[in-house]
Amino acid sequence: MNTNSASTVATLRKSKPWSFLFRSPGRDIAQFALLIVVGVWLISLSTARLGYYWQWYRLPRYLFRIEAGRLVVGDLIKGLLFTFRISGVSLVLALAVGLATALLRLSDSFMGRVLTRVYLEVIRNTPLLVQIYLLYFVIGPILGLGRFASAVLALSLFEGAYLSEIFRAGIVSLHKGQWEAAYSLGLSRFDTYRDVILPQALRRILPPLTGEVISLIKNTSLVGLVSLSDLALQARVIAADTFLTFEVWFATAAIYLAVTVPLSMIVYAMEKRFRVLT
Amino acid sequence: MEDYIIEIENVSKTFAGGVEAVRGFSAKIRRQEVVVIMGPSGSGKSTLLRCINGLETAESGTIIVDGIPLDDDKRHRLEIRKEVGMVFQSFNLFPHLTALENVNLAQRRVRKKDKAVATQRSMELLQMVGIADKAHNYPAQLSGGQQQRVAIARALAMAPKVMLFDEPTSALDPEMINEVLDVMKTLARSGMTMVVVTHEMGFAREVSDWVIFMDEGQIVETGTPERIFEHPQEERTQRFLSQIL
Repeated sequence: MNTNSASTVATLRKSKPWSFLFRSPGRDIAQFALLIVVGVWLISLSTARLGYYWQWYRLPRYLFRIEAGRLVVGDLIKGLLFTFRISGVSLVLALAVGLATALLRLSDSFMGRVLTRVYLEVIRNTPLLVQIYLLYFVIGPILGLGRFASAVLALSLFEGAYLSEIFRAGIVSLHKGQWEAAYSLGLSRFDTYRDVILPQALRRILPPLTGEVISLIKNTSLVGLVSLSDLALQARVIAADTFLTFEVWFATAAIYLAVTVPLSMIVYAMEKRFRVLT
Repeated sequence: MEDYIIEIENVSKTFAGGVEAVRGFSAKIRRQEVVVIMGPSGSGKSTLLRCINGLETAESGTIIVDGIPLDDDKRHRLEIRKEVGMVFQSFNLFPHLTALENVNLAQRRVRKKDKAVATQRSMELLQMVGIADKAHNYPAQLSGGQQQRVAIARALAMAPKVMLFDEPTSALDPEMINEVLDVMKTLARSGMTMVVVTHEMGFAREVSDWVIFMDEGQIVETGTPERIFEHPQEERTQRFLSQIL
């Protein structure tokens, strides 16, 4: 026992200088700078080999431009605004579908459980691209859905399936005693979910939920398949028109990042704030 | 005809996997009585208690609480739960709500009281259990004994006719047991009907009208606390008492 703890102390002492170096900001900054240098070098190397002629100055007009003294929104930003719109509508619907599916899966209804199971398996085992096409070309006309509506439906059904698994995991992770305490007070199932279970489950699932929201925003880049002018489709059109392939796609990636990274950070802040004391 | 508030008739409960937790249990409890159920672990005490408010479903036998039969009718079960308060071994407070909100919740949702009325009642109850000054604290900021007292106030907020206690002091540090038992004693003296699963003999002696000793899902013997503790008739009871003393 004694020799054991003595050797542990020795190991700790030995590893200390290393961990200290690892955590020092100087080292982090040096690593980051190195990464940038290598990145720039790789890009310039590859563009040199391709003979690519950078023309960043031609890009800004696709973001914003001044016409007759007024600020006009460029096509990329128009695409971004559309991406916001379709993401927002799909997210609301996907959350509703996801929650309903999770509750149905956890309900006493046999048919409910079977139906949701089939839905989950179908959605999770087919590509989103195929779902968008099927909804647009086959189910859309039957239900009289337009292009936007069928794309929203496809995205919500797709993300709803993943969200439902997250909701379910959050709900079943709560201690059985929470249900029992609520029931013993005479609360109905609905009240129990609303006041006791969901508020706690939501806090627990905030991190994976954010992941799915970001995933949803990225997946909207597929709606260009049915000619909806989102950010990705606008980028494709501009790149084809101008041959500014590198500039446009780098800019597009940066725009997606500019949306998703702050989102992660906001939720991270929320998580810290609403942490459940247990 | 006697006025029984709880009538349990030949109740059995077998868990999936074939464990017979309760086997043909019958008992009748009068209004304002305090009944203590004792027995070794695994003897079916808690299961029996949980059958009374429908947290577990007995597969045979009948349970009638305040004239309402506990059967397949969901409304009956809900009615009974409104009349029966329960306190758990592990407190089961809602961790995302303050002590006050914990006590308010059922009054607001089930009794449909408005916030001011509910809050006033809740504060009285928190006062009664001696933690009104912690009303705005979250459960994680309270000690075990304080949490259990909030849990008692929460159950009382529904103005139940019966209170069930499932080993309310078993999860507590020794120095906190008495603060919870004191609240329970006060409650017993105020005339509340109580069914208490506990090993606290002092509590049983002081306030209980009778004691049920259970083993293997059945009643081994019943009687006044004096009789059970001083002159147990059954060998099984004697053996158990000699172990916990």
